[in-house]
Amino acid sequence: MADSMVVQMVVNGIRVEKHVEPRMHLVDFLRDTLEIKTVRVSCEHGFCGACTLRVDGDIVRGCLMLAVQAQDCEVETVDGASDRGDLLDLQEAFYKRNAAQCGFCTPGMLLTASALLRERPNATREQVREYISGNYCRCTGYHSIVDAVCEVLEVRRLAGVSQ
Amino acid sequence: MELIGEQLIRAPRQRVWDALNDPKILGRCIPGCEEVQKISEIELHTRVMLKVGPVRARFSGKILMLDIEAPSTCTLSFEGAGGAAGFAKGRANVSLVDDGVGTRLSYSTQASVGGKLGQIGGRLIDSSAKKMADEFFVAFESVLSGKPEPAPEPRPVTPVGVFPAAPDASATGTPVVSNAPGSPSQVTSPRTSPFNGVGFQYELYRACWFALGVASTLLVSRWLP
Amino acid sequence: MKAPPFEYIKPGSLDEVFSLLDRYGDDARILAGGQTLMATLNMRLSEPQLLIDIGSIEGLRGISLLDGCVSIGAMTRHSEIEDSAVIAEYLPLLSMAAPHVAHRAIRNRGTLGGSLAFSDPAAEWPACTVALDATIVLVGKGGERRVKAGDFFLDLYTTAMQPDEIIKACEFPLPASSSRSAFLELARRHGDYAIVGLAATGRLQGGVLTDLHLVFLGTANTPVRARAAEARIEGNVLDSTVLDSAKSALTTELLPAADLYNGAQTKLHLAGVLMGRALKQLLV
Repeated sequence: MADSMVVQMVVNGIRVEKHVEPRMHLVDFLRDTLEIKTVRVSCEHGFCGACTLRVDGDIVRGCLMLAVQAQDCEVETVDGASDRGDLLDLQEAFYKRNAAQCGFCTPGMLLTASALLRERPNATREQVREYISGNYCRCTGYHSIVDAVCEVLEVRRLAGVSQ
Repeated sequence: MELIGEQLIRAPRQRVWDALNDPKILGRCIPGCEEVQKISEIELHTRVMLKVGPVRARFSGKILMLDIEAPSTCTLSFEGAGGAAGFAKGRANVSLVDDGVGTRLSYSTQASVGGKLGQIGGRLIDSSAKKMADEFFVAFESVLSGKPEPAPEPRPVTPVGVFPAAPDASATGTPVVSNAPGSPSQVTSPRTSPFNGVGFQYELYRACWFALGVASTLLVSRWLP
Repeated sequence: MKAPPFEYIKPGSLDEVFSLLDRYGDDARILAGGQTLMATLNMRLSEPQLLIDIGSIEGLRGISLLDGCVSIGAMTRHSEIEDSAVIAEYLPLLSMAAPHVAHRAIRNRGTLGGSLAFSDPAAEWPACTVALDATIVLVGKGGERRVKAGDFFLDLYTTAMQPDEIIKACEFPLPASSSRSAFLELARRHGDYAIVGLAATGRLQGGVLTDLHLVFLGTANTPVRARAAEARIEGNVLDSTVLDSAKSALTTELLPAADLYNGAQTKLHLAGVLMGRALKQLLV
């Protein structure tokens, strides 16, 4: 076994310091060591997007990042983003459009959608579909999720125009 | 996966046939070959380190020669297990025909690759197989024509480790060949860490810690009132 | 699955990296963005002893406009290239290709250097470097050396890199004002490995294209420059005869292998389709 290392980072606004094996993924660190269960472990090779997290403000695949690589980083899970009120309109739209069924993909889906809102405020429906194509959902068939994201984009655009 | 090809080898047919039946020569030509063991006239056991891109998977394999018509044709039946990476099996029909001063070697291979390599690497299996076949023939040609082969890169290895290290022929670059049906002779080379993947040494390490844990628990429980 | 146990080190200097590579040889792997390496380890397709994280090394990141070229550091993330105004202005081919590299979350970590060193047959950046006549800057114990992109990608996952070298940067010559670019890729779903893709550049002068670079990805073990097709088009007005002639030239130099999803004929046909579309874009 490789010697464990000490890693420090800020998770959802709280500074943490723990011992980890170098091989421990960021998702496993958050889920198992820090007991943040909204973090999902799924395909473990970057395809499904369920493990999507925010590190230093950008979405990343938590399964393709080692905990030790997050040294001195600001990590945010869906809980942290939600608690800050960062996902409010998305959450309301998801609820309204029934865009979450089992909820497994939802944390990753919300963080990805949130990044889209920031980077592509004028995205078309087709562009939304392309952007979230890295997040798999086995329940909803995607339409309701795309509807929810498009609704938020529309509302924001209108609000922007009226200001 | 299907791989069909032919190669002109600048050597007489009998020599080519003999070389294909010589485990020492095969060991030098199969890319990544670490060990070749001749079990009988028709059976070989090999250990090959597959290196394609980032993949490093050790396969232990068996090659059986069937339908032998020396020195013209034979069928090779092969299977290999690569641990977590997957497994492979298949058949190759090989035929040798005189061609001027040399020999035309034709091969037709059908193989299937299963496990992780088959799943993830599906789109690359054909091109990897072709690449390895090309490398094999380049080496085979140079061995038969007596050209000096490129020397393997010597790697200085820092010795250490509490436990004896797993044998690693790749550190010296030459595969180990043995004829004994029992445990093959092995090249032992120290490595910088004893725990390269799982293995007997790793299990022993865990077993020791477990024993220590049991012993300390018993000791502590004796001391409790 | 979980990655096998390994040691991890994050050296602060290139000298340290080279001495570690010297000591560990093939048992050490360079960790840049990790988007390919971690997936490989997670699937237990490799069990290295040591990961050398080069994320802290000075001088490997950033996009700089130098005299006559744009230099992109090896550790520059795909998303940084995607979002860069400098790239959009001087190297629009890269801006067009960037959104095709996997998905945004992966682009936020994956690096240009990693993609070039890995040299996947279906990768976007290798084809782009060949189309733009870029130069890859390598650095090893013995110092720096430069290799032209056209000479860098040798075979399946095999580049001109020596085992004790890493990529430092990639230098792209500034294109002329008459330059045009187009990047097209076909995949079953967005973000999948390309079935076939095309990085195309050329100069538009007097309604005809010259200095064409048509570089296909996904059709062979390395990016393939379709010189015969280029020759049929250069200097000619693009009509259906010229295009058909170029497509038939393509069949002589592109020899795609069939895979699980598409036959060789399909890929060849799709390559021709992409070429037609790209040329139309170049002429705009």
